[in-house]
Amino acid sequence: MTRLLHIAVKDMKILLRDKAAFLIMLGMPLVLIFILGSALSGVGESENVDIPVAIVSVDAGDQGAPFAEAIADVEELQAVFNIEVLDDVELVRSKVEKGDLTAVLVIPVGFTEALAAGEPIELEVLQDPGSEMTAGIWVGVARAAAANLSAGQIVRITVENTLARAGIPQSPVTFQQGDTGGDIAFDAVSVKQLDVEPEKQVEMIDYYAAGQTGLFLLFGAMFGAFGFARERRERTFARILASPATTMDLVGGKSLGILGVACAQFLVLYLGTTLLFGVDWGPTPSGILLVGFAEAWAATGLAMTLSVLGKTERAIGGIGPTVIMLFAALGGSMIPVDMMPAWMLPLQSVSPVYWAMGAFLDLMRGEAFSVVLMPVGILLGIGAVLFTFGLWRLRYE
Amino acid sequence: MTDIVQVRGLVKRFGELVAVDNVEFTIAEGETFGLLGPNGAGKTTTISMISCLLEPTEGEIIVDGHSIRNEQTAVKRTLGVVPQEIALYPMLSAAENLAFWGRMYGLSGTGLKKAVDEALELAGLADRSKERIEKYSGGMRRRINIAAGILHKPKVLLMDEPTVGIDPQSRNHILETVKNLNSSGMTVLYTSHYMEEVEYLCDRIAIMDHGKIIAMGTLNELRDVVGGMDVISVIVGEVSDGIITAVNAIEGVEGVNRANGVIEVLTPSSSSVLGRLVATLESEGAHVTSVTVIEPNLESVFLRLTGKSLRD
Ligand SMILES: Nc1ncnc2c1ncn2[C@@H]1O[C@H](COP(=O)(O)OP(=O)(O)OP(=O)(O)O)[C@@H](O)[C@H]1O
Ligand SMILES: [Mg+2]
Repeated sequence: MTRLLHIAVKDMKILLRDKAAFLIMLGMPLVLIFILGSALSGVGESENVDIPVAIVSVDAGDQGAPFAEAIADVEELQAVFNIEVLDDVELVRSKVEKGDLTAVLVIPVGFTEALAAGEPIELEVLQDPGSEMTAGIWVGVARAAAANLSAGQIVRITVENTLARAGIPQSPVTFQQGDTGGDIAFDAVSVKQLDVEPEKQVEMIDYYAAGQTGLFLLFGAMFGAFGFARERRERTFARILASPATTMDLVGGKSLGILGVACAQFLVLYLGTTLLFGVDWGPTPSGILLVGFAEAWAATGLAMTLSVLGKTERAIGGIGPTVIMLFAALGGSMIPVDMMPAWMLPLQSVSPVYWAMGAFLDLMRGEAFSVVLMPVGILLGIGAVLFTFGLWRLRYE
Repeated sequence: MTDIVQVRGLVKRFGELVAVDNVEFTIAEGETFGLLGPNGAGKTTTISMISCLLEPTEGEIIVDGHSIRNEQTAVKRTLGVVPQEIALYPMLSAAENLAFWGRMYGLSGTGLKKAVDEALELAGLADRSKERIEKYSGGMRRRINIAAGILHKPKVLLMDEPTVGIDPQSRNHILETVKNLNSSGMTVLYTSHYMEEVEYLCDRIAIMDHGKIIAMGTLNELRDVVGGMDVISVIVGEVSDGIITAVNAIEGVEGVNRANGVIEVLTPSSSSVLGRLVATLESEGAHVTSVTVIEPNLESVFLRLTGKSLRD
């Protein structure tokens, strides 16, 4: 056991002295996070967005159009949305399909009538399924608007299926009848009264911190695999095996060394991005650390597999980055997962980057610790499979 | 004296190739045993089997009473191994390398520190111990390679051509080291294809060729193989294949050995061959600068037994 630890320490020492490894494992991700994060900053920030949405009134009565105008006039909404008031449902539908509009609020034919009769009104929201998050905000707006419809009536609005698709609980909203009588005061409409909280927006720098960390943690695997090739070439493997150290000491020690380096690398990236770039990893550091550890283990497994896929450092240096980049691309480290073609999606599940990054982003959005349990389990599993494969094919000479 | 190493009926096949062919020898405790043979003779393969790195195809090896078949850990604890190729970590310093190998052999704490310091002293590199090995010269690395094999003071030291490719000064240093270790009680198995080293160091010698031991004994016993024969050493400018063929054809010549610029002729009667030898060389156009009759050595033994030179 002590031999195992000494082998691990020796490997860590050697890796820490490797300037190229240092640069690739720490320098590159930090630089990339900084460049990508700042170049694309603003894209995800709410003050600067101009989400194209529309309100369409097909109301047969006279309340629909002013209601639509009233919503479109709210200043807080204008800050976030670019609101058009239209009257052709088919036109807006095709605009949504083309992606020109993110979401549309439709005021139904019987709006005035239902309002007068105090009957439930169904507002319909058409949304682009590719932008659930922004559409979700719009749905919330629709609800808030309706909530502020203090027309002196009880209005029940159910925003149909669309709500469920946006992932927002489909609770009907109930409004108290006001004492203002028959007049409808639309100007009380305010976004602040949104009763459904939209998901927290992850900023670009955070997104890239998650993505590049997920990607570059795997590079530890490549340098770990180099270590195997080098020990074969320099015959130190044989020398260790000629000593009383066992193969278990050897494999265990080297793996522990790789795992240790990957964990240290993760900590540096985690703290570095937080302190240098103000990346917000969310309110659950324990979850972040657990995911980091799980991916470090996956990297250790990958190191074992890479070390048997290529005999020499040259061969591993060819295979390693290819595999890692493939994992990274599939995992969404380069382009967001929802921009990928559908056929690629099933392949994602084999990518450690996909699971690590997904878990990082979930935690950044403020989700609870439990959200990482499945991805962590899968990362540990991927690591175990890769490790076992490597162990099975491992040669010491 | 007990035999601390016993090798019996040892065979190693690599596919068709028989790298080690029914090798048998024993080494007494405290002895320095030499394994002499040309490239590819099977020396490293034999050492690898003793150090449990290769499994024999057939045969048995007992080290200090432990079989390599089922008591590998005990065997490994007894041994110190100096591999033919330098097996060190270039990114670590000499002291770090030695400490690592010491730990692999179970040393720790002050015992380890002392052993490392002694080994560095022995290698003559105490003043450069903090430098990374990658900055060392070949000879310096060789010395650390040896130091790493002996710092845990093994009972039996296996040295596989420890002097290959180094300057004469380092080589002498290494030979002295081996002598000293042996006189301090360490049993040494020393392989080489330099007969001078083996002659100088070893109590007993086995000569190996093509996987087989073709002769074994003390230096004097081996010299008896060429008993009564003389070696005529002729320094010529350039040696061509034609010259060798012509010399071999001379009556009374038992073998011809060539080594850069030198021809060594093995014969039972130097006086009768000498005249014809010089005449043949002259007629073949060789430029003879010196002719001496020397005492037979292991080179001559090898020549006598195989008809070829130990050196390439
Ligand atoms: N792993 C292997 N696979 C196949 N053949 C091998 C292997 N190891 C050694 N051999 C062959 O076995 C023979 C003996 O090799 P070995 O290395 O034992 O010779 P050696 O006496 O140590 O030579 P040298 O002086 O060059 O070190 C050679 O023909 C070599 O090619
Ligand atoms: Mg050899």
